[in-house]
Amino acid sequence: MSTATRRWLTSAATRTVLWLVIAFILVPLVWMVSTSLKPAGYAQTIPPTWIFKPTFEHYVGVFKGEAATPFGPLLLHSAIVAISATAIAVALGLLAAYALARIPFRGKKFLAMWILSTIMFPPVVAVIPVFILAGRWGLMDTYPALIIPYVAFNLPIIIWTLRSSIRQIPEEIEEAALMDGLSRMGIIVRMVVPLAAPGIATAAILSMLLCWNEFLFAVSLTRSQVKTAPVGINEFTGMFGTQWGAMTAAATVIVAPVLLMALMLRRHLIEGLTLGAVK
Amino acid sequence: MARLSPAGTTAGGVGTVRGSRGAVPVGRAAIGPAGGADAQARAANRTAWLLVAPAVAVLLAMTIFPAGYLLYASFRSFNLMNPDAGRFVGLQNYQNIASNADIRQSLLITLLFVVLAVGIEVVLGLGLAVILAKQSRENSIAATILILPMAVTPVVSALVWRELFNPNYGWVDYYLQKFGLIDVPIDWLGSSTTAWITLISLDVWQWTPFVALILMAGIQGVPREPKEAAAVDGAEGWRLFWDIVLPLLRPFLAIAVLLRVLEAFKTFGTIKVLTGGGPGISTEIVNLTIYRTALQDFSVGAAAALGISFLVFLSIAVPQLLKVLARNTDLVEG
Repeated sequence: MSTATRRWLTSAATRTVLWLVIAFILVPLVWMVSTSLKPAGYAQTIPPTWIFKPTFEHYVGVFKGEAATPFGPLLLHSAIVAISATAIAVALGLLAAYALARIPFRGKKFLAMWILSTIMFPPVVAVIPVFILAGRWGLMDTYPALIIPYVAFNLPIIIWTLRSSIRQIPEEIEEAALMDGLSRMGIIVRMVVPLAAPGIATAAILSMLLCWNEFLFAVSLTRSQVKTAPVGINEFTGMFGTQWGAMTAAATVIVAPVLLMALMLRRHLIEGLTLGAVK
Repeated sequence: MARLSPAGTTAGGVGTVRGSRGAVPVGRAAIGPAGGADAQARAANRTAWLLVAPAVAVLLAMTIFPAGYLLYASFRSFNLMNPDAGRFVGLQNYQNIASNADIRQSLLITLLFVVLAVGIEVVLGLGLAVILAKQSRENSIAATILILPMAVTPVVSALVWRELFNPNYGWVDYYLQKFGLIDVPIDWLGSSTTAWITLISLDVWQWTPFVALILMAGIQGVPREPKEAAAVDGAEGWRLFWDIVLPLLRPFLAIAVLLRVLEAFKTFGTIKVLTGGGPGISTEIVNLTIYRTALQDFSVGAAAALGISFLVFLSIAVPQLLKVLARNTDLVEG
């Protein structure tokens, strides 16, 4: 076999493997979306129906809520929690990240390590006290009970992402501004925010994605007033038994925004999830 | 960190001084006009701590405070239905969990889950990364698709898995039968071995791309020179990869393994929804055990003792992992 033939064979083999892997990755998503579009009666057939006339009846059912709780409010709750928690976490994280990136201070190294180490803290350990105290303070099934833990769990990622974006801003500009008498707060608001905007956007999108997907705190701390979409869909299927059409329609609605966010982030998703260690 | 001052040693934590080195700058300060620098350092300190304070407060409230609360609860007989009636019971909760075979099993199951899932993800991820590292249009499309599983809401992926592996209507059993790989449908969640296969396959689906994309970035960053030099010496294929690429990939492997291990130890939603810990308790990792004990059986004391034990285990194991990481990357520098 000539070198050229062998090279061609290797390349053909690796490409086949690659596309098999991609197919494996897409199967669950294809199942979800295609099932959600199948007319009632075709969703759950053996052998699976591949040729069908797409319908949005399941989506209508999910939102109109003919049989179960309508899904619209759950999505709204999820959005309110994700957006509020992200806004607070980015604001607090930006201040902390600036101090860690720019100001030499006592205990900085220890503090940075401690913030980083909180990513190992198992949420299930935090949820028990939060559950008990939320009950005692009348915060059960309210937004703050969910938003405060989400802020905490996203802070390390946000601080780390923003710290590395702030470090990429040339320090000289800030020094000049300090000389001119601008306060640190003034510098953060007027210079760091615009210059670190891409980093802030990355951190914010990532944080929203993680809040949107969270389940443990949501299932423990919400009942009906602020119940989020992942909690809802889990109960939803129980009620429907194995009603695939409704379940997959709801699943597609939940997953669509996060998939969109992931595609917006692209490689920054990895950068964020590795706390900036992998660019 | 050499901004030292005479006042720093006495300022009770406000200055930037590390006590033992205070003696040196005393003399220097007496010579130079260090008074201004000292005031500046103190101001910087105050500003910095004011800036980090809100974030630190929230983090404390969700880590140290719950840990303290659980430590307190772990020494008491503490029932969720009647939280104020708890009395001090010493180490009884700890003795109970130590002598409970189910809990010992749940700890083993947790370790098994983490090792199996992360192990498979690293092996597959490495293979995928090697294929993806060559830059081409095709690979860039593949890399984009690879991002998707990571973003899928874990509850949703678990629900999808449950139906894909459904013995009556699921695609998995149907197509396995159709291609003659099995004769009768398998009730995947009905026995512990097949439930484990289902569970691990879900985690592998969702998180192998994470490992693959990290390692892909690593391989793409390997400089050409050592590869070319080795190629000149006759190294090719596997040898080239094993001797040249893999050592340079170590920091990336370290990051990927560390972060996957940390996240795997936090797994909750997927297992809760997919198997609920079953059949029996054969897939009940410790997170589910803690949750069930506290919020479904209402025995907060026992759950607290288990939670504290888990926390102690993690705080011994994770710094070891972080040390490996610090040796390999610059993630952990001041």
